[in-house]
Amino acid sequence: MPETAAELFESLGRRGHEPLLEQAEGSLRFELENGQPQRWLVEVDKGDVVVSHANRKADATIRVDAKLFDRIVRGEVNAMAAVLRGAVTVEGDPQLLMLFQRIFPGPQGG
Amino acid sequence: MADLVSILDGNTFVVSDERGDIEASSTDPTGLFSFDTRFLSRWVLTIDGQRLNALSTDDLNYFEARFFLVPGTGTVYVDSKLSVIRKRNVAEGFHEELTILNHDDKPVELTVRIDAGNDFADLFEVKDALDKQGKYETRVEPERLVLSYVRETYQRGTAISSSKPAAIDKEGLTFDVRIGPGGSWTTELDVMTTLLASGQPRALPKVRSVGRNVKTTMQTDLARWLDAAPRLQCDSETLGLTYRRSLVDLAALRFSPLTAGRRSLPAAGLPWFMTMFGRDSIFTSLQALPFAPELAATTLRELGMRQGTRVDDFREEEPGRILHEMRYGEMTAFEERPHSPYYGCADATPLFVVLLDEYELWTGDRKLVREFEREARAAIAWIGDYADRQNNGYVSYKRKNEETGLENQCWKDSWDSISYSDGRLAGFPRATCELQGYAYDAQMRAARLARVVWKDTVYAEELEKRAADLKRRFNRDFWIESKGYFALALDADGEQVDSLTSNNGHLLWSGIVDKSKAKSVVQHLLGPRLFSGWGIRTLAEEEGRYNPIGYHVGTVWPFDNSFIAWGLRRYGYGREAAQVAAGVLDAAEYFQGRLPEAFGGYDRSLTKYPVQYPTACSPQAWSTGAPLLFLRTMLGLEPAGEHLVVDPALPVGIGHVELLDIPGRWGRIDAFGRGRVETGKRSGRQATLTR
Repeated sequence: MPETAAELFESLGRRGHEPLLEQAEGSLRFELENGQPQRWLVEVDKGDVVVSHANRKADATIRVDAKLFDRIVRGEVNAMAAVLRGAVTVEGDPQLLMLFQRIFPGPQGG
Repeated sequence: MADLVSILDGNTFVVSDERGDIEASSTDPTGLFSFDTRFLSRWVLTIDGQRLNALSTDDLNYFEARFFLVPGTGTVYVDSKLSVIRKRNVAEGFHEELTILNHDDKPVELTVRIDAGNDFADLFEVKDALDKQGKYETRVEPERLVLSYVRETYQRGTAISSSKPAAIDKEGLTFDVRIGPGGSWTTELDVMTTLLASGQPRALPKVRSVGRNVKTTMQTDLARWLDAAPRLQCDSETLGLTYRRSLVDLAALRFSPLTAGRRSLPAAGLPWFMTMFGRDSIFTSLQALPFAPELAATTLRELGMRQGTRVDDFREEEPGRILHEMRYGEMTAFEERPHSPYYGCADATPLFVVLLDEYELWTGDRKLVREFEREARAAIAWIGDYADRQNNGYVSYKRKNEETGLENQCWKDSWDSISYSDGRLAGFPRATCELQGYAYDAQMRAARLARVVWKDTVYAEELEKRAADLKRRFNRDFWIESKGYFALALDADGEQVDSLTSNNGHLLWSGIVDKSKAKSVVQHLLGPRLFSGWGIRTLAEEEGRYNPIGYHVGTVWPFDNSFIAWGLRRYGYGREAAQVAAGVLDAAEYFQGRLPEAFGGYDRSLTKYPVQYPTACSPQAWSTGAPLLFLRTMLGLEPAGEHLVVDPALPVGIGHVELLDIPGRWGRIDAFGRGRVETGKRSGRQATLTR
């Protein structure tokens, strides 16, 4: 189970295909803020995934505090609730994030 | 409470009194609501400090209302030189045209005042009266009044503006108005909501008045919706009225989740349940399939994309599980409520597969069935895995979220709904019988899809084997031999919960009932303990907890009856299906064609009219869909390959019925029928089974 954003994205990129993202078509740009800004670009084509740091315009741009995103990656914080309270913001197509969040784990121990 | 007026579009709605005023307390359910949040809790019009008096109120359409008012309150005798018209429609908030007419031959000078304010309550808070944790701010800008609420990153705002200049203060807008003899004065008011659409706090809009265009679009959309539905021509005025009412209400009940673009699916009920509910959206989509198949497509898409993928006990999420309810309010945002979304329901998952198959049977849309193969398989896997909470091969439920989760995760979800004949309540987990029926049907239908669309015969055979095994065990374990019907549930010890309930009818619909047992089941459904003359009661008379006005323990639910009628036809009981349809449709006449969620279980010969069960929501989606499903069952519409079979069994009193241009994989087909089926005496007491 990934512990950080980097682990999540790198593992996703290595897998190259994620069945839970087979409904998704488009690109997501994650901008993780806090200290050193990080950028991840995830391009999805019906489950086939390419992950990079490329600086390109995406179909959905997601901005979130890096520490909060790590907690989402570990299943401690629910992504959709975070969207509702504005802690995660989406510019562009929100459906892509809704599909993407399927790969996050649940809380430890249920 | 005085008469309330509601107008809405999607999940934005305004509930006011008959004057158009809003004066909500923290627990009072009036105001402007959007995305489960109140955006206006005070909106009071006065002229020269005086409240107004309503002469009449028109609900022009579900999205607009008009209020005719005169100054002065409390007197019977009205002799005013002024009249006031408020015309309001929903539009990203609402748009209100306020007109004052001077009937005098002298000019008048008036102080017109609108008090405005808001508490930004979450819908859940309106129910439970909880304290707010964030900060309020009120800002007077040159041309508008802005009310806002901030809690950490959570922001909601309301902006109020007027087309005529107003003196704006923190509590409202004041107009100094002069109207000549016989003249009039008008201003257009806009109340705009801002929320986290797509997660991005939208800037408060600077441009005002999109209201009129939105209204025109909505009128065109409603006309197009009605035009696309099959045309009904019939002798029965009640049936014609009920059909039209259902179509219009179904239009009003359409709801687009934030991510669905322009596509919409049926929400559960107006106005408090204008959100996606797995169970309600699926049942309503099934009822509406022959009339508006696109609702089913959106329901499948939106529920499929939100299917559970992990274990999360707070939300009761599990891999493969279909959601129960989704909400957007503050308490959900801060994880004080689990609705982001909440998955605590045991039936939506198998029903998702049932809808997928039924949708393909009608529309032939195999593309969608292929697209959602993974989700359908995951749903089937959930049935055999997570849902089998007692490891006994049956679907059962027991909540994991003890604090804010639902105790009863079947459609009869009130606390006292699952009881033994002697009135005791069953313990948890509860394996209610209809869940086994849905699970059986889901596997049989998935097997068909596996053969026809997914081209996986191995999987199909495996599913058929599992389904056959479930059916065999079910007919052994749930059947109460001494009573001749199926138990409501198996309790935590595997013992039968032995009361007689309408759930038996759902079992017919699912096809899990052995042919040899069907006749006895039908006799009970149409017998005097369950059939009231208006319909089949949820719980039979003489059971320990029977109460003719108990929510799930004696009332008659039109939705429940419509699926039972479908089940009766499935087992060849056309006459009995017609009898149930006739009873419920007769009742519709007393509600101007709008069937309530439920009505009292009193015997028809006793009350002569159906007694409405008081609920907060009307129309309710699956009650709205019930007449549509009754039309289907009475006409005997069944897709068969590229054809539509029509096999009418219509009650005698209904006369001639034509349903024209029924959409489906066959293009458009007409169905005709004439009432020839004698449905017996009208009272349930005297109903007899002649089969």
